[in-house]
Amino acid sequence: MASVTFEHVFKRFGDVIAVNDLDIKIEDKEFLVLVGPSGCGKTTALRCLAGLEEISDGKIMIGDRVVNDVAPKDRDIAMVFQSYALYPHMSVYDNMAFGLKLRKVPKDEIKRRVTQAADMLGIGHLLDRKPRQLSGGQRQRVAVGRAIVREPKVFLFDEPLSNLDAKLRVETRANISKLHLQLATTFIYVTHDQVEAMTMATRIAVINKGLLQQIDTPQTLYDKPNNLFVAGFIGSPAMNFFKTKLVKGDGKLFVDGGSFKVEVPTDRNNVYMPYLDKPVILGVRPENIHDPNFCPPGIFAQNIDGKVDVTELMGNEIQLYVTAGEHSFVARVDPRTKVRMGESIQVAFNMGNMHLFDPETEQAIR
Amino acid sequence: MATVQTSMPLKPTRYPSIRAAKIRSVIVNRLLDLLLWVIVFIILIPIFYIILASFKGRGEITNPTAPVIPEVWNFKNYPEMWRQIKFGPLFVNSIIVVGSTTLVATFFAALAGYALARFRFPGADAYSLAVLGTQIIPGSLFFIPLYLTFLWIKNTFGIPMVGSNFGVICLYVGFFTPISIWILRGFFANLPPDLEEQAMVDGATRFTAFWRISLPLAGPGIASTAIYIFMTAWNELFFGYTLGVKTVPVGIRQFVFGASGTQLRYDLMAAASVVITIPIAVMFLLLQKQFISGLTAGAVK
Repeated sequence: MASVTFEHVFKRFGDVIAVNDLDIKIEDKEFLVLVGPSGCGKTTALRCLAGLEEISDGKIMIGDRVVNDVAPKDRDIAMVFQSYALYPHMSVYDNMAFGLKLRKVPKDEIKRRVTQAADMLGIGHLLDRKPRQLSGGQRQRVAVGRAIVREPKVFLFDEPLSNLDAKLRVETRANISKLHLQLATTFIYVTHDQVEAMTMATRIAVINKGLLQQIDTPQTLYDKPNNLFVAGFIGSPAMNFFKTKLVKGDGKLFVDGGSFKVEVPTDRNNVYMPYLDKPVILGVRPENIHDPNFCPPGIFAQNIDGKVDVTELMGNEIQLYVTAGEHSFVARVDPRTKVRMGESIQVAFNMGNMHLFDPETEQAIR
Repeated sequence: MATVQTSMPLKPTRYPSIRAAKIRSVIVNRLLDLLLWVIVFIILIPIFYIILASFKGRGEITNPTAPVIPEVWNFKNYPEMWRQIKFGPLFVNSIIVVGSTTLVATFFAALAGYALARFRFPGADAYSLAVLGTQIIPGSLFFIPLYLTFLWIKNTFGIPMVGSNFGVICLYVGFFTPISIWILRGFFANLPPDLEEQAMVDGATRFTAFWRISLPLAGPGIASTAIYIFMTAWNELFFGYTLGVKTVPVGIRQFVFGASGTQLRYDLMAAASVVITIPIAVMFLLLQKQFISGLTAGAVK
C-alpha cells in the first residue's frame, strides 16, 4: 500500500513526446483510471511507473521512494497486461507462483497464497491447466490472480478487459471494483473506454496527446469538464457541440445558433458577460435534451425546432439524431416520444446543465 | 401472392457442380501429394544407394554393370570396417568435438540472437550485417589465414591449435555461431515481449526473464539450430582433415586415400557412411518433440 507520485514526468521517443509533463499524486488505496484515446500516452505513463520504460525527465515516486532508477522487480508493483502475458509453458499454479518463487517465499506460504487467490477468483479448479486450455475470461482471472498473490504496494492494469466479450467485460468490471475494496490497495488502471473509467474509478485522469487534461472524480468530470476534449470524451453518446454566439436582449443573455436562440439561466450571466457578442461553443449532453411532452419538472427548458434524421429505440429511451439548421445533434428522449424519421420535432434543452467553451482556448467558461 | 404455375422443369440444383469442384480439388491435392513423394524419393536415392552398397562385395561395388541390388548380401563390411580403422575412438572424439561445438555455439547464438531481437543499441545494425557478411565468404578461403593464425597462437601463447580438438572446436564455433545468431534472432523476435516484461515486473532480472521464459519458449528454435550445427559439424571433413583432428569423416577418408591395406575400399566406406548417420538420426529423434509447433499458444490473446 502506497501513494504514487508523478512529478513533471516526461517521456520522449525521439521527437515524439509520449508523456508531457505529467504531474499527478495518486493517494494510497485510490483507484485511479488513466483514460484517453489510443496513442495518448496513458500506457506509456503506466509502463514508466512499472519501470519498463525509462523516463526522460521528472521524478516518479512510490510512497516516499524515488524509483526512477529502480529495476521493475524492485518496485513492488504488480501489473496485468492487456494480453495477460501468461507464461505458456507453465501451469496456472506455476504462473501464479512464479513471482513468489523468485522472491524465495517458503513453499507452504506460496501454496497458501496461490490457493487463496485462486479461490477468491473462482479458478481453484484450473490450477493444473496450461494457459492454452483456458478461455479468455479464465486467462484474465489468472493474470489478476498472479498479481494478487504478490501482495504488492500498487496494482497496475493495462486495458485488462479489452480482450473480453461485452457481457464478460461488464461482469469483470464489477469484480475488479470488488477486488479493490477487498484488497484496499492502490490501483492504477489504463483504459480507452470511458465507461470503465466512470464505473470503477475513485478519480479519473483524462489524457490527450501526452497531456493531462483533467483529473477529478467521475461525477465532477461529467458535470464540470474543464475543456472541449474532456467534455467530448466523457459521456456516451458524446456531448453535442454547437458553434454559436452569445447575444443580449431584454436584459437577458441568449446563445444564438442561427437556426435557434436559447436563453441562458440568469445565475450565469456574470460569468458569461465577458463573452458577449463573441463566438462561443455551446455544449449540451444528449440526456439534457428532452421531448417537451416528457420534460422532467423544474428544469430551465428552452425549446428549439428540428428535423429527425434517425431514431434508435433502445428500450429504456430513444436516441434521436436531429438536424436544426446547420447543426446536428443527438438527443436521448423518453421512450413514449412519438416521432418518426423525417418528421419535424420540437426538443427542449435543459439549459441548467449547459456548458460554454471558448472556441480559441477550448477551455470551459466558468 | 398468387401461386405461379410453371410448365418448365425445375432448374437442376447446383450441388453436382459443387461436388465436381470438390472432386477436382481432391484430385489436384492427391497429385501434389504424389509429386511430393517423387521428390522425396529422388532425394533419398543416394541414401538408398549407399545403404545397398554397404552390403556389396569389394569388386561388385566398382563394377558398373552390376545391379543396384546386391546379388549376394554381404554383411562382413560392417565388422570389417570397424576392425580396419579404429572407429570407436573416432566416434568418441567426434562426439566431444561436435557436442562441444553445438553447446557453445548454440549458447552464444542464443544470447546474441536475443540481444539483437530485443535491444536497440548503438551498432546493432552494423553488427547484424557483419554477422551476415561472414556467411558470404566461402569457408575454404579462410584456410591459409586461419592456419597461420593458429600457428601464431601456438607460438605466442603456447596453446596448441593445429591438430588439437580445442583448435577445431574454436573454429567450428566461429563458423556456426553467426548463422545460428540469425536463425535464433528470428525466433526471439517472434516471442511477445509482454512475457519478459511480465516476468520482470514479477521479480525477475532481464537475464532471469530470458533464461526462465524466453529460452524455454524458443525451444523449437534452439533445437533446430542445435541440430543444424551438430549435423554440419559432424559431417565436416575439409578443416578437420587439414587441421589433423581425428573425427569420423577424417577416418572414413582413409578407406579411399589411406595406407595400402585400407585404400580404395568403397564397400567399407559405404558401411562406415551408414554407421555415422546413426548419431544424427538419434539426435533428430531426441529433439523431435521440441519441434511441436504452437508452443506459445495461449500466452497472449
